[in-house]
Amino acid sequence: MHLVDIHNVSRSFGQVQALRDVNLTLSTGTIGLVGNNGAGKSTLIKVLLGLLAPDAGGGTILGCDIRRGSSELRGRVGYMPESAARVPMLKGVEFVAFAGDLYGMPHRDARRRAHEVLNYVGLGELRYRRLEEYSAGNLQRLNLAAALVHDPQLLLLDEPTNGLDPAGRLAMLQLLEDLIAETGKSVILCTHLLGDVERICQQIVVLHRGTVVRAGTMNEMRAEVNNRFELSWTGPAEAFRGALAAEGVTFADPRDEGTSKIMVSVPEGFTTSRFFELAASSGAVITELKPDEENLEGMFFRVTEEAAAAAP
Amino acid sequence: MEIDQAHYHGWQGQLRTPWSACAAIVRVAVIQVIRNKAYWLLLALGLLRFLAFWSIIYAVTQLALPEDVSEGLLRRFGFSANSDAAQDNGYIRFIEGQNVIVMILLAFCGSLLVGSDFRAKTLPFYLSRRIDKRHYIIGKLLAVSAVICLLTIAPALLLFFEYGMFASSTAYWIDNWRIPVSVLAFGAVICIVNSILLVTISAYLQRIVPITITWATLFLLVGRLGDHMYRRTDEAMWRLLDPWRDMRLVGRLCFGTFRDEAESQLAMQALVILVTLCTVALAALVYRVRAVDVVE
Repeated sequence: MHLVDIHNVSRSFGQVQALRDVNLTLSTGTIGLVGNNGAGKSTLIKVLLGLLAPDAGGGTILGCDIRRGSSELRGRVGYMPESAARVPMLKGVEFVAFAGDLYGMPHRDARRRAHEVLNYVGLGELRYRRLEEYSAGNLQRLNLAAALVHDPQLLLLDEPTNGLDPAGRLAMLQLLEDLIAETGKSVILCTHLLGDVERICQQIVVLHRGTVVRAGTMNEMRAEVNNRFELSWTGPAEAFRGALAAEGVTFADPRDEGTSKIMVSVPEGFTTSRFFELAASSGAVITELKPDEENLEGMFFRVTEEAAAAAP
Repeated sequence: MEIDQAHYHGWQGQLRTPWSACAAIVRVAVIQVIRNKAYWLLLALGLLRFLAFWSIIYAVTQLALPEDVSEGLLRRFGFSANSDAAQDNGYIRFIEGQNVIVMILLAFCGSLLVGSDFRAKTLPFYLSRRIDKRHYIIGKLLAVSAVICLLTIAPALLLFFEYGMFASSTAYWIDNWRIPVSVLAFGAVICIVNSILLVTISAYLQRIVPITITWATLFLLVGRLGDHMYRRTDEAMWRLLDPWRDMRLVGRLCFGTFRDEAESQLAMQALVILVTLCTVALAALVYRVRAVDVVE
């Protein structure tokens, strides 16, 4: 069974098309959902959670139909909202127990479990403080505890490091890493901070203007980068480019047209020595050849720019 | 056995129906109101008024009071030593008086109980759990009703219990079984109307000042306007503009005690007005409660 399996999901708000024909099949694990502001990440999370009904399309998450927005689905998912929720006048432990009550846990269990998860997220000593006295970082931890209280199979985390200082962000990421390592829970992490995704996710989904422009495992993404080279040469440009194109080499950036320093993607089985053979046959001399050192951020900008260029 | 707190532990229990969350919402609301020191004065006033009525009942049933004092107490509080004379008026007066305190309390706590959910974007916290908007709305209505009951119905029923206790016989409770039923019916009217109006107003206005101004306008200014129009036109229907008066009339309908014939004729119309008002407010509330802020 797939963790997420949705087809042709679209959702608009008035004139704004937040999601368009989103197809996504994800297996269990940690998934990073990345995109610029307004890319549709939060809308997709809310559709997955059944908080928003899609205008078109459908699918399942943990085998539950997203169109029904069933309470069964939400009983198996823990959601941590983007802005940390706070119920005035409640103490930390009461807030987490209240979250358990809202999931339908027996109150005694919810209360006991609240103590456990607060200890786990490192708020054991602050549990009897009122929510008004919590710092932003601790409020995020508290909301993580509220998402964990009923021991869900899947955690949906919407910008969990949002608004945290660097130390708070690192602490939250460390906590998530430990949680994932210890429990093996599936996590969908929705963020625009690529460093967070790079650190804890095994799979990545890139959203751009409501469409999925890239989805796959981090290893696949890295393999894709391994096929790219930065190439400089002297000599006849046209002949060398023609020879490369004939071998199936593609030019990554159309703006490089006519220049002698380009980024190329090579097909399967293409070895670096072939560059020198083609250069020799074209009368060109290669002055620089180095593998692309694109990181996740570079990949993100590249695929979103490609998507923007391809858009009508 | 030592509990291992350093590691994550799973939970293997059975989740109950989402309707059970309504009880949690009510419990949390009562905690929120009781913990807020700003409301303690109003809660104390309600308690004092209850103790005053408690003392009056004790005095009229247990002490040999001079006749003029007894009559004064009957006239002012509606209770006397003669349980036949202790008409429903005593309970109506008590509830109506407590209702004034409740109205002021509600004007201030709407923002805390409901407005903050919308203002601080806490609504997704509720609706991303197993409950949906039905459970949320019912939970919040019950929460406001619980605050109202705390100051009106519950003490009124205690007073009824006290009167019967001091009457030294169960006959009072048996003969006057209609009183607790009427208290519950009147209480239900107050709870339903006030909770629907307060939750709707708070969901839209969210902050304490606009909520208080709107609440005061609805229950004071509109009433004064109705009185003014009544004096100008001599048409009693204008007086039904005041939802508070409407609630009192429906309350008297529950007790079956009216001051005059005109009042009894207006009671049914007041009921129709309240039902219409609540239906419109409820529809607006259902529309307002959404899991996400919709980007238009």
